[in-house]
Amino acid sequence: MRRRLVLLVALSLIGAMLLTACGGGNASTGEEESDVFRVGLEAGYPPFNWTQQDDSNGAVPIDGTSEYAGGYDVEIAKRIAEGLGKELVIVKIEWDGLLPALESGKIDAIIAGMSPTAERAKAIDFTDNYYKSDLVMVVRKGSQYENATSLKDFAGAKITAQLNTFHYEVIDQIEGVIKETAMDNFPAMRVALESGMIDGYVSERPEAISAMAANENFVMVEFTDGGFETSDDDTAVAVGLKKGSPLREKINEILGQISEEERQDIMDQAIKNQPAADN
Amino acid sequence: MSFQLVKEIFLDNWPMYLRGAGMTIVISVISTILGAIIGLLIGVVRTIPEPATRGKRVILKVVNTIFSAYVEYFRGTPMIVQAMVIYYGSALLFDIHLNRFVAAIIIVSINTGAYMAEIVRGGITSIDEGQFEAASAIGMTHFQSMFNIILPQVIRNILPATANEFVINIKDTSVLNVIGVTELFFQTKSITGNNFKFFESYFIASGIYLLMTFTITRILRHFEKRLDGPQNYDLVGNQMQV
Repeated sequence: MRRRLVLLVALSLIGAMLLTACGGGNASTGEEESDVFRVGLEAGYPPFNWTQQDDSNGAVPIDGTSEYAGGYDVEIAKRIAEGLGKELVIVKIEWDGLLPALESGKIDAIIAGMSPTAERAKAIDFTDNYYKSDLVMVVRKGSQYENATSLKDFAGAKITAQLNTFHYEVIDQIEGVIKETAMDNFPAMRVALESGMIDGYVSERPEAISAMAANENFVMVEFTDGGFETSDDDTAVAVGLKKGSPLREKINEILGQISEEERQDIMDQAIKNQPAADN
Repeated sequence: MSFQLVKEIFLDNWPMYLRGAGMTIVISVISTILGAIIGLLIGVVRTIPEPATRGKRVILKVVNTIFSAYVEYFRGTPMIVQAMVIYYGSALLFDIHLNRFVAAIIIVSINTGAYMAEIVRGGITSIDEGQFEAASAIGMTHFQSMFNIILPQVIRNILPATANEFVINIKDTSVLNVIGVTELFFQTKSITGNNFKFFESYFIASGIYLLMTFTITRILRHFEKRLDGPQNYDLVGNQMQV
């Protein structure tokens, strides 16, 4: 027994040493180099970003895994990295982990369909917009809200939106709405909608289009007759950078060279290429 | 729900499920072992009887206070919060950039260590007082009696609780996606982000989790039986009376 215990302790010490060794190695080679451009995204928010298993349609390998990330954000990130003359590294992080990762220097930029809200702008810097979209509502097909045209039609409806996004705040503009608890991510909201826990969730057009494409039970409601009042900062998406980042000017210059037409092209392509489209 | 769809989703995405499950199992196995070792060491130190000299008493008191603080902090805060604090805090405050995988192992290990320290302490105090007295009566030091007499029994007795920790770790690695570890839950989330088939995709994940936890508990159960030794045996030394 004693010999076995000694063996156990020895093995664990070796294990610990190996771990520190490889940890140290990674810290010195991977994290500090400046010729890479590390971009953080969820890789789970098509058509802005998603995870796929091969490198088709120009997808980029996700750091530390065998999967690839594709989508509108990735295409923009590729153009920015090219303009900066750096190698693009995609880091897959949960939405809530993106800001801490940026602030602590784990990534150089957030390109994750993130809107440049005033609250976020207090913590991080944003570049110019690289996309702009309308707010819509995703509801169940066949429900009474399917043919809604204005916010008034949603009185009495159970509505939610993603936690820590402006989508959730604009729900207050609907009179008589039942505002449900905010949810962590879009997959969770879609499952809540499908199961009838909510009557709809606030989303942006590209996400709604892909939700419709993937699940025939979902319908997008566009507000033709009085929709959400949003600030320009909210409906647009921009690249998030660490406060005072020297990259900002350069990235703005690169984004300025991507015309509105080209952006729409990339978005259409992304909506077409997203993995859900062929299901 | 249709089983045809479940099969399709699995066939489409099995490499992602498999890699996620691999990440989950590797992190839980390493972390549970490291955590058990941390727990054993802390448990041994925390049960040292009060030393005779004043200097040693003070040192022991300081060490014990540190261990208590460690146990209380890591047992009393959620692992997702610890992950945020350790991974991002170490970078912000000390400029230490941990590799995500290493950070995950550190977080789960010290979290498990805190629980295991209490489990081991319980295991040690459950051993009959007479054994400690007998050991010191024949001149054994605390560590001698621990490693030769007490711990072998403790390890057998705490195995069921350790299996519990193991199962909890397999499930709790799912919070590590906030630091970018692509374990099984994060992978499943990405899969549902693509195919929008939530129930079916998570159903597969639940099966994989269950497979992992069930296998681990069976293995540890087998280990327990091995440590118990044979149930029937002949008394050696009694031949003369036959």
